[in-house]
Amino acid sequence: MIKRRPRREHEDCGAALLLAVGFVAMVGSIAGGLAALATSSVNNRTTLEQVRNWEYAADGAIENAIAQVRLLTCASANGFITDATMDAVSIRVDWAKACGVVQSSDGSVVAQRNVIFSACLNTGSPCSDTAVPAVPVIIRAQVNFQQAFLGAVTKTYVQSWSVNR
Amino acid sequence: MDGESATNRVHRGRHDDAGLTATVSVGIRNRGDVGDTLVEIMLTVVIIGLTITALLSSLATVGNATNAQRKSVQIDVVMRNYAEATKAATQTCVVGGTYTVLYPVALPAGFAISGAGSTCPAAPTTPQLLTLTVNGPSGPPTTMQIKVNTP
Repeated sequence: MIKRRPRREHEDCGAALLLAVGFVAMVGSIAGGLAALATSSVNNRTTLEQVRNWEYAADGAIENAIAQVRLLTCASANGFITDATMDAVSIRVDWAKACGVVQSSDGSVVAQRNVIFSACLNTGSPCSDTAVPAVPVIIRAQVNFQQAFLGAVTKTYVQSWSVNR
Repeated sequence: MDGESATNRVHRGRHDDAGLTATVSVGIRNRGDVGDTLVEIMLTVVIIGLTITALLSSLATVGNATNAQRKSVQIDVVMRNYAEATKAATQTCVVGGTYTVLYPVALPAGFAISGAGSTCPAAPTTPQLLTLTVNGPSGPPTTMQIKVNTP
């Protein structure tokens, strides 16, 4: 006579399956979390490289703008240039003159030609952090142009150079 | 017969013929002695194998990604240092002169840099476009363009 295997207790039914499903879900969550972490890190790295390229493109565009503004005078109007020659990034640089005079050590009055440059991604609008929509400034710099008696620029001094983003 | 003790069942089997003893011995297990079937064990092994495989492969993926991330950060640091060193070198430029780029620290092993010029920009009004290249230990070279100027 063949006897049948006794049936399991009713309260045990399905517990093993639940444990197995829970185990698989836990391991799956850990694996998914790790994969998401790695993906996020790689994406962040790509974004940071893009930001680096923007910063140096803005830097170069301001160098370009300084070279052009150097030929102007305090009587010249404010203006802007666009530069898309670096890393396929189009940068706009706005400049605003800030001319004035200072008194030298011997009491004579000396003209100062300062210019404030603002570089941003070129969207067709002036660089501005407060405009709506904002065109965030990447680099803002103030440059002093040293001029000879007849007005020719002999040297440029960067008085401030702030990288904002 | 379920209510009988195992001792009684075994005792009775000894007095029967061999075939009957073999038949009865199938049913002499208590409930606590009942094992899992082959299918259940195989299923368990498969599930555990799959989960361990998934875990190991994800760990390997994370390891590779971390390695790539570290190299990428190194390339970024080398590129920034190189760009800043190039810009600093041109600060002493005069028209018609030359400049030498000195990388500020020792280059990490396996890295190579190129692209910085040596001739100063021809005039203060014409910035020089440079394409800097950093070759890492593996992967394609990374390039970045900058402009330098004679003060």
